Amino acid sequence: MSYVTVSIPQLVLSLGLMALAIAISSRNHLGLEKDLLVGTIRAAVQLFAVGLLLTIVFRNEHPASVFGLIGVMVLVAGWTAARRIAHGPGTGVLFRYATIAVFVSGVVVLVPVFTFVIRPARWYEARLLIPISGMILSNAMNGVALVFERVFASVHDDAPAVEQLLSLGASPKQAVDRHVRAAMNAALRPTINGLLTVGLVALPGMMTGQIVSGTAPDQAVRYQLVIMYQLVAVAAVAGALAARFARTLSFTDREQLRTFADRRVR
Amino acid sequence: MPVSLEARHLRKSYEGRVLLDGVDLRLGPGGITTLSGPSGGGKTTLLRVLGLLSEPDDGQLLLDGTDVRTLSPRAVRRRVALVAQAPAMFQGTVLDNVRTGPRLAGEELPEATARELIVRAGLEPQFLGQDARALSGGEKLRVAVARAMALRPEVWLLDEPTAALDTERADLLVNLLRDLATAGAGILVVTHDARALERLGGRHLRLAAGRLAEEAAA
Repeated sequence: MSYVTVSIPQLVLSLGLMALAIAISSRNHLGLEKDLLVGTIRAAVQLFAVGLLLTIVFRNEHPASVFGLIGVMVLVAGWTAARRIAHGPGTGVLFRYATIAVFVSGVVVLVPVFTFVIRPARWYEARLLIPISGMILSNAMNGVALVFERVFASVHDDAPAVEQLLSLGASPKQAVDRHVRAAMNAALRPTINGLLTVGLVALPGMMTGQIVSGTAPDQAVRYQLVIMYQLVAVAAVAGALAARFARTLSFTDREQLRTFADRRVR
Repeated sequence: MPVSLEARHLRKSYEGRVLLDGVDLRLGPGGITTLSGPSGGGKTTLLRVLGLLSEPDDGQLLLDGTDVRTLSPRAVRRRVALVAQAPAMFQGTVLDNVRTGPRLAGEELPEATARELIVRAGLEPQFLGQDARALSGGEKLRVAVARAMALRPEVWLLDEPTAALDTERADLLVNLLRDLATAGAGILVVTHDARALERLGGRHLRLAAGRLAEEAAA
């Protein structure tokens, strides 16, 4: 199996593409030159750092380093999903719940797939576990963030109707049912759209990568399908957990609506 | 079974402001109580606490002699109707709105009953099929009253119910409240409407700076 290698001079040559984008921005007064420049450098630094980290972990493959890295990914995903939630109880409180939602949904989806479908040669095989976990956890993170954002914001905006429902004897679950369903729908929608259009518009990144590095397309397709189904499942599980947490956090133990001021730092 | 709602030494402050400063109040079966006072004086807070939408910092709330903290909040709220000054309408028709309370408890209110309720609340029967959110303020208020009646509450809490109504409609609503009281309900109406105050009769209270005081009716 052969794969394409990119030498450093070749990589530097590809910077010409960024120069092209910067030139277009400058010529059309888009004002994006600085962002493009920073983005070019940041992407390179971040990816080289990750590449270096992965090289180290791959060379010293050990359950502790592999799962340590995945653990860090879970925490970062939890933190990111809990940030900047308008009208929520604050990042400190949400972080715990977001991390639980990311972790549980990741376990529910990843463990069976690694056990029965992908079956790595070693159960802690870094080459498989790390990139696939990364994709799944980031989808879980997006699902949690979307549900938190939507539930807290829409319950806040619709507080009079939610309290009116409580007044008529609704349980907290009944009182925010509409908001929770809309949020879960929104969390699943992008992944479902991905399922519907995959291959028609663009080949998914992982499949492209596998084909470029020499995998037979039919195998790359099977792999990609497993991943896509995982992405849907993880969005569903993470979204459902986040919805349940958001609902619980929105009421006191006397079933009164708690509303939160917008705490985002602007 | 007529019941009473009783508040003992209710206290509540919010962001350093005292909204309720030791409020004692008893809404007995068949009695009408009217309440007025300056805005920001705690009237809406008192209604929210009595309607179990807001928790007092201190004090006790008794429904029929039982501390409400020992009861399920939903069960209490079904028995205590709270009609806000500008009530929120749910998506759907007036019929859907009137059916909400029973539906939350897993029961289906017959359309004929819903029609009867909106007529009692002062709306024509053809309102049943209309989009509740597209109604005027006064119409929404009457839908909210019909919606609350569907649960046959034993205690009523109303916040400025006649504010969005013309004299004729306001009189109709006052008559309805008097009928409900005659049937045994305990009623508390926050109002500054002199005509409504006079026609409602009963006991008149004034809430200012979180303190309740009895007043001769205007």
